Amino acid sequence: MARKRSSGRLTRRSFIQRLTFFGGGVVLLGSTACKRPAEETPKAEKTAEAPSVGDSPHGTFTGLEFSTMAAASERIVPRDEDPGAKDANVPAYIDRILQTPEMKQMKTDFLQGLAALERRARSMFKKGFAEATPEQQDELLTIFKDSGEGSGEAHFYELLVVLTLEGFLGDPSYGGNKGRVGWHLVGFDTVGTVAMAPPEGYDGPKCLRECGDHR
Amino acid sequence: MTKAPVDVCIIGSGAGGAPMALELGRAGFKVVVLEKGAHYHPKDFVHDEILNSRRNFFMPLPWEEPHLWRKGPTARYERSNSAWTANCVGGGTVHMSGYFYRLKPVDFRLRSTLGDVKGANLADWPISYEEFAPFYDKAEAELGVSGEARPHPFAEPRSGPYPLPPLDVHPIANEIDRVCGEMKWHSLSTARGIISKPYKGRSACVYCALCGSYGCEMGAKSGTNANVIPAALATGNVELRPKCMARSVEVDKEGRAKSVIYLDAEGVEQEQPAKIIVVSCTSVESARLLLNSTSSRFPKGLANGSGLVGKNLMFSSFGEARATFRLSKQKAARPWLAEPAPFVNRSLQDFYVMPDDRFGFRKGGTLGFMWTHPNPIFAAVGMAGSGKDGVFGKALKDKMRAYRDSRILQFEVYGEFLATPGTYVTVEPNVKDKYGIPVAAITVDRHPMDFAATRFLVERGEEVLARLDPDEMQRVGIAGETTILQHGTCRFGSDPATSVLDKDCRAHEVPNLYVVDGSFMPSAGSVPSTLTIAANSFRVASNLVRKLKKG
Repeated sequence: MARKRSSGRLTRRSFIQRLTFFGGGVVLLGSTACKRPAEETPKAEKTAEAPSVGDSPHGTFTGLEFSTMAAASERIVPRDEDPGAKDANVPAYIDRILQTPEMKQMKTDFLQGLAALERRARSMFKKGFAEATPEQQDELLTIFKDSGEGSGEAHFYELLVVLTLEGFLGDPSYGGNKGRVGWHLVGFDTVGTVAMAPPEGYDGPKCLRECGDHR
Repeated sequence: MTKAPVDVCIIGSGAGGAPMALELGRAGFKVVVLEKGAHYHPKDFVHDEILNSRRNFFMPLPWEEPHLWRKGPTARYERSNSAWTANCVGGGTVHMSGYFYRLKPVDFRLRSTLGDVKGANLADWPISYEEFAPFYDKAEAELGVSGEARPHPFAEPRSGPYPLPPLDVHPIANEIDRVCGEMKWHSLSTARGIISKPYKGRSACVYCALCGSYGCEMGAKSGTNANVIPAALATGNVELRPKCMARSVEVDKEGRAKSVIYLDAEGVEQEQPAKIIVVSCTSVESARLLLNSTSSRFPKGLANGSGLVGKNLMFSSFGEARATFRLSKQKAARPWLAEPAPFVNRSLQDFYVMPDDRFGFRKGGTLGFMWTHPNPIFAAVGMAGSGKDGVFGKALKDKMRAYRDSRILQFEVYGEFLATPGTYVTVEPNVKDKYGIPVAAITVDRHPMDFAATRFLVERGEEVLARLDPDEMQRVGIAGETTILQHGTCRFGSDPATSVLDKDCRAHEVPNLYVVDGSFMPSAGSVPSTLTIAANSFRVASNLVRKLKKG
């Protein structure tokens, strides 16, 4: 998608800016953390306004976008004998985390990628991504995955995987990992007990907003 | 606004800055510490992976405060978050793993030992291990180090035991000891900056599994935030100013450092005059600060008449391999594998220096054995991979289920990173961070001997892993660099033509300017350097206090 439209919203430079921090061991997606509004940095390049969510019950996505995103995240971590992304409330996590002001650029990229996924589904399968069969959905996600480093498709796929896994395996207070099903799947429920994973009542998003402001 | 003058202004509160603040405060001098990051307290340290490792709780965001990074002088720079350590009171010592090795006597005379290695820029230290060792003792006692000295061919001399006994380890450590013994190698107990017993009013480690990359809510990790900074503040002579970003060090007409210009927590520019200025912001960021501190007296940057500030940058050479033990398969033979004990704490240093260069190198390094980090998002993102090798769906879930049934032992290599003319820090005037300050630009052109040594060390580590009868083995890398370990951009030495700092870490060109992070190191050693930086800071402080008291 973006290669053809590189004069538009997603320039080569912004790709590099974002791809480099996906490479390392520490992955940063941006956040509201520790920021006062006055410190918000001006955007390096103009980005189109995100589509209006309208009367959608979601904070980031329209109803259609939400179903596309939910269907895509479910293919990353599908339900089988163990719970999948939807069971863990991953879509709610992604909707919520992309509302944080410092993830604005990510949100723009994600919505753009999601729109490309939906367009591609309609041209390939003559139906929306959410209505396509799981095999068709996997076929399309594989195309995105294999599009090559620096492509908009691969960038979106990486965002999708990272956000899905954050929602599946992050602290439940962020809205995902419902019932700690993600932690159970990877065995972190036992390690996590020893590791003193945050207690009941812990509010990660609040910490993320207020960290460092202990005046 | 110009603040009231103080005796000493220290920029940075990590392994280098904090010991200086403590010792100068104890000696009665008025000290201001400027710290770029926030002041976190134990209650802020929760084991929330999203907060700690995936957002900017510790590390700056790469689009707000990038480092530029390129491999070789003709490559294009990429924006990166490489070579940052934690931005908070205590710096990198807050989220470190705390592998508190000492350097060895040979590290102080690398040039004499290896001779003139072509393509490298080697130097001996202006002091010996014997002169330095008392400050290792001091740093270990002040910070709190748990360990057990075992004899081996490269054992550095010690005046006595560690301040604290070693931490409890997982039973796998006994197997590592056994298989190393079979090969006539010397399995060592890794010293840790984590206290195994209550110490100086701090609680002992509770053996949670999430240590490195997290702050310690128990105060058991020996970051400078746990003990050194509180002790410095308790002297009543030290004022700590968090969220203050230094922009430049200013000089007077005589070329002496006179003040630090910084942006305070509200983003307002302030000036802090001081009789002595101490820079300790990591090797990359200290070089950046000096290079950005230009004046008519120092047009190329402060203390940089020689052009050497930013040169001879060294990281640590990195390699890694993993061995996976499937709990279900090994249950009968090794029921103890499932024990949750987080520490392995075993190291190999048999290949620290080779007797000849038959393997393409002489200076090798250290292998440290540990369990892989249990952060689940980090682990799963690794399982998902990317590109053609990437997986999703059932394949990814199968990997996650297999992970639940696994214990994964790894080793990390801390290999020699030889200084080269092609590895250095400059500043890039056209790329500015969110403060409007030109950012650090890092160029890396490594010496081939590093790669030969690191590959050799990975192969030896794999021999150990293979003898442990794992179900799977995986080589992770043989040619990386650990960029949180930084050294060398302001070398110390006796000759102003070849070094930035003198033996006391005072700038040759600026008589009241000191640099006390890893910048001073002419060679990086083949171990993590946190303890060495702290020990050196205690040494510099001791000499400075004596000098100031003399008048």
